[in-house]
Amino acid sequence: MSSPAVSLPRRSRSSLATRLRIAGGILVSVIFLFPIYWMILTSFKDQVDIFTTPPKFFFTPTLAAYVEYMKRADIVNRLVNTIIVAAGAGLLSIVVGTMAGYALARVRLRGAATFGVVILLSRGVPPIALAVPMFLVARKLGLIDKHITLILAYSTFLIPYVMWLMRSFFMSLPRELEESAMIDGCSRYGAFFKIIVPISLPGLLSTLIFSMILAWEELLFALVLTSRHASTIPVAIAGIAGDTVNGANWAALTAVGTITVIPVVVFALLVQKWLIKGLAEGATKG
Amino acid sequence: MSTDTEKATGQTSPLRRRGRTTDLMVRWSFMFPAILLLVTMLAYPIFYTIDISFSRFDIATFGAAEWVGWDNYREVMSDYRFWESLRVTMIYLVIALPLQVVLGFAIAYLINVEWAGRGVIRALFIIPMVVAPVVAGGMWRMILDPLWGIMNYWLGFIGVGPMDWFGDPTLAMAAIIIIDTWRWTPFIVLIATAALLALPKDVFEAARIDGANWWSTLWSVAVPLLVPVIAATFVIRWLGAVKMFDIVLAATYGGPGKATNVINLFIYEEAFRSLRFAESAAMAVIVLVLTMVLTGLFLRASRKLEELF
Repeated sequence: MSSPAVSLPRRSRSSLATRLRIAGGILVSVIFLFPIYWMILTSFKDQVDIFTTPPKFFFTPTLAAYVEYMKRADIVNRLVNTIIVAAGAGLLSIVVGTMAGYALARVRLRGAATFGVVILLSRGVPPIALAVPMFLVARKLGLIDKHITLILAYSTFLIPYVMWLMRSFFMSLPRELEESAMIDGCSRYGAFFKIIVPISLPGLLSTLIFSMILAWEELLFALVLTSRHASTIPVAIAGIAGDTVNGANWAALTAVGTITVIPVVVFALLVQKWLIKGLAEGATKG
Repeated sequence: MSTDTEKATGQTSPLRRRGRTTDLMVRWSFMFPAILLLVTMLAYPIFYTIDISFSRFDIATFGAAEWVGWDNYREVMSDYRFWESLRVTMIYLVIALPLQVVLGFAIAYLINVEWAGRGVIRALFIIPMVVAPVVAGGMWRMILDPLWGIMNYWLGFIGVGPMDWFGDPTLAMAAIIIIDTWRWTPFIVLIATAALLALPKDVFEAARIDGANWWSTLWSVAVPLLVPVIAATFVIRWLGAVKMFDIVLAATYGGPGKATNVINLFIYEEAFRSLRFAESAAMAVIVLVLTMVLTGLFLRASRKLEELF
């Protein structure tokens, strides 16, 4: 990190205050990370080690929960579905959203600005207001429990998200880039695909990954629009957590939860620099 | 009026008219896929919801039957469960949103000290932010379990408890707010960290030279500079929080009784468990209008705040 910290207000503060802040920061991050650590730890316990007081931090680890619930809760099939849907929705939204974001940022179109405001407002639409009609229409068209239905449903919140992020990204690029390309005989498409897209690649990639994460985690549409064949992991977790008949099945909950969380965390940390930048820009320029 | 291309190339060719039409089509083609998808998947469903909300829902054909005017709205408005659910949602929003924004900026300040581990700490805050909300709900349900949960075990050390987190209505709401705050504060921390880093340093230097103390620097220099970001963060968080569903579903399922039955869960239950689609549609439209009005007000207020400072 090369950028200097803004210290409020004395930079020549005593080193004790600085040390206290560092200690406080570490403590807060430990508090925030503990629940995840505890979930992962619990997923490697057997029943006896889970239901015991005091809670156990050291025990003989077992993979029993993973082995059992991979089969029982149909997790492999759900994992495949979640990957298909997340990748499909992410790719569709990044292509469509990036082009629209470029149009909003650079291509002067009459009425496009209004459309941009409408898109921004659409982020306030409660998903339940979409879930009811989507369910009814999908049922009529025989599209319930199909991957494509979920992919299209997810595009309703992913496209606005991508559009908005990429719009502010494109606005930060110098205008001369495409202008000189178009003077050199490039078409508008040529300028976009040969000049703009390549230099935006890191930003595009992180936006794609974050879109896929949002799709990976989605619950409401998945609950409503799928039943058996195309159902995703979050639906399984909701089922396990809400299973009041069999009581708390913490082994299943933590094992499936860990499977859900690990890949996402890995991807998010891979693109963390871009992710933070995108978040900051989304908030300050949105 | 010349088009973009003409400006760029400075040419006025004899094929100008044709070229202009083609160019217009090319330019709109960037926008077209998004418009098409959002009209079919976003605008059309909203109009369909409005249509159902004014109709009798026929379970046999599974579609809207005859027009019944405001009947569904009247029925929903006289349903005490709907009001109760709105009240619960409001309590959640009124407590959780300010809590998360304040906590987020406070933590951002805390972790913004210049030292070797700063980048690592900041990266670690991404982790809770990408845990699926439904997983967060389930995971915390285990941690807060009255009998075996590690939270009550630890609270026992300081002489608190045992707390019946999911049996007591107030504690259940507290649990929901704790889980939601755990899941969303890191998001605000990351935005706030970037905002703090972007603050102009010379202003603080000047305040220091003028002998301003920590507190007055915070209130008369830092906060006014941060107002636009704080307002934007609040609006973004608000847009997410009104969609509250996953965490409640996994952690309490609206219970005990209806103590945490937020509006989205209530509408979901009414539609997909009780199959009362017309009433659900009416509720969804009411919530949609409420959300839009409040979002508009917040955007307005944040613009006013920006002018003020």
